[in-house]
Amino acid sequence: MAIKYTLQGMLIYLTIAAYLLAFITTVTGRRKLGHGLFLGGFFLALLAYIYRWVHVQHVPLQNLFEVFLSLGVACYPISLLCRKYLRIGGQWAEMLIGALVLFPAGFVFHAEPQRLPPALQSWLFAPHVAVYMLSYVFMAMAAFRAFEQLLTKPNPQRTTLAPEQATYELVVIGFPLLTLGLILGSIWGKLAWGDYWGWDPKELWSLVSWLVYLGYFHWRYMFGKKHPRINSLWALVGMAAIVITLLWVNLSRLFSGLHSYAT
Amino acid sequence: MNRLKRPVMWAALVAIILLAGFSIYGAFIGADQAKTFFNSIPLGVYWGFLALLLIVGIVLFRRLLRTPSLLLMHLGCILVLAGGMWGSESGHALQKRLFGTDAIIKGQMPIYEGLQENRVQLGDPNDLRELPFLIRLRDFQVEYYEPGTLWIYDQSGQSWKLPAKAGDTRTLPGNLGKVTVLKVFKNFRMTLEGDEQVAFDAPGGSNPTVQVRVETPDGEEASRYVFADFPGHPRPEDPLTMRYHRMESDYISKLEVVKDDKVVASKDIEVNHPLHYGGYHFYQYEWGRNEYGEYTVLMVVSDSGLTVVYAGYAMLLVSMFWHFLGPRLFAAATNRRKAPGESSAQPSDKQSQYQ
Repeated sequence: MAIKYTLQGMLIYLTIAAYLLAFITTVTGRRKLGHGLFLGGFFLALLAYIYRWVHVQHVPLQNLFEVFLSLGVACYPISLLCRKYLRIGGQWAEMLIGALVLFPAGFVFHAEPQRLPPALQSWLFAPHVAVYMLSYVFMAMAAFRAFEQLLTKPNPQRTTLAPEQATYELVVIGFPLLTLGLILGSIWGKLAWGDYWGWDPKELWSLVSWLVYLGYFHWRYMFGKKHPRINSLWALVGMAAIVITLLWVNLSRLFSGLHSYAT
Repeated sequence: MNRLKRPVMWAALVAIILLAGFSIYGAFIGADQAKTFFNSIPLGVYWGFLALLLIVGIVLFRRLLRTPSLLLMHLGCILVLAGGMWGSESGHALQKRLFGTDAIIKGQMPIYEGLQENRVQLGDPNDLRELPFLIRLRDFQVEYYEPGTLWIYDQSGQSWKLPAKAGDTRTLPGNLGKVTVLKVFKNFRMTLEGDEQVAFDAPGGSNPTVQVRVETPDGEEASRYVFADFPGHPRPEDPLTMRYHRMESDYISKLEVVKDDKVVASKDIEVNHPLHYGGYHFYQYEWGRNEYGEYTVLMVVSDSGLTVVYAGYAMLLVSMFWHFLGPRLFAAATNRRKAPGESSAQPSDKQSQYQ
């Protein structure tokens, strides 16, 4: 446990509280209040992120504390975008995702500022990590809809997309971003380490995540919505691979490799 | 889906799942063994099968030929595979057999400041190959973040850190006292002025040192020097041990490429900024200092197949954003222009199944 008795920590805890309250009020039917709390939480998260940026004097995407903080900021705008333009409902999921991703930033990872080692001083550092984080938020949202699809019965009354279709729409947006993250990482690897592909555990797990979603598209092309539960399972397996890529590879000594500095 | 297409789709799905499985296995065995595994003969067969499957898919599925974005996506994958195979060890062996080119796949090149070199060490330091040109190291520099950090340890191993900046102070818990940074030297030297030893910063050279004062709670004061390059040994009677650490911010090798006694290219290479010349990339890899002086170690990597891989990347990215995001951005834009209540431009379920 790494409880932070700092302004940074307080901002994170307030954001978690706002996101959780937003979730509770939304699922209990007070949607407007829920949305207001979600928006308030987003501004707090944004403030925490800007504060961190000023503090460390580089884009705060270097370690897992900063990565989870950035995920907490990205939830609200992506949720809003999906609701407005993709007819994807269930904003409660993003409120919960926001609180869940900020939990490790608030309670697990240390916030000790770190200087950038020479390998991270590249123009590709920020886009590579930021694009991955964006895609992870989309894929987490897709996983929640897939979970919803597995647990609930179809509701013909709903005005937003059905969970299976919503999962697909979210994966469709997340997948090109995931590909961009992978390719930017590969180009960066070539510039920094001499290899565009080094067979490093983190690279291999990120390839696994990409392949699972690739499999999802091929499966859905073959069967469409004939097996909605299997479609959802693909999205959930993809999310599991992302969690392993993001966390396990960095934390476990089992997979030590070139990306181990990003803990 | 007809009788021929369905097995091809199943084969594609199995190939994807297999590659995911191989990758998980590769992640468990570590990068070096994974590289050997993915370059082994059975995996070579797999890569060939995958490339063939992609080609068969393009020929068989009219939809791929009719939809440029989908075609580009699959062609992109073929190019990445082809470029990867061309640049692999087997690919280099094939190039040697077909065209007689014998490029160095990967190696290291230590060069001392002011000297030039064309020998590249392969895996074993005695296994040397020569480049058709020379690389001269004009100068080598290491840059550090300022200020450095003074680490203070007590006998139980607990540690505190203090920026190595003159005037900075840290009060330690219990009766350990207070540590103050008095002066920071870039190149510490001592001289005798009369009977007294005087420390001074000599121009040039490098011997980073911090002078600190330790004050105990009962008023005793002692001054000591902490050297970055000579950490020294902790003494059992000393309650505090100190280390002066400076973090490297950059390594710069100023290189010149010499061919037929003429300088044909030059570049100051750093991490993330290699030199590209004659079919090779030269990377800042390591550095060191010994009795002969300061030296840099360059990593030399053949660029064979790289253009093809990058072309594949470009095709993959363009096609994916075009295919997946294009229709949705268009739908979002047209929805904004329409009045509320008009039909949505969101792709229908049947359409979106294939988009």
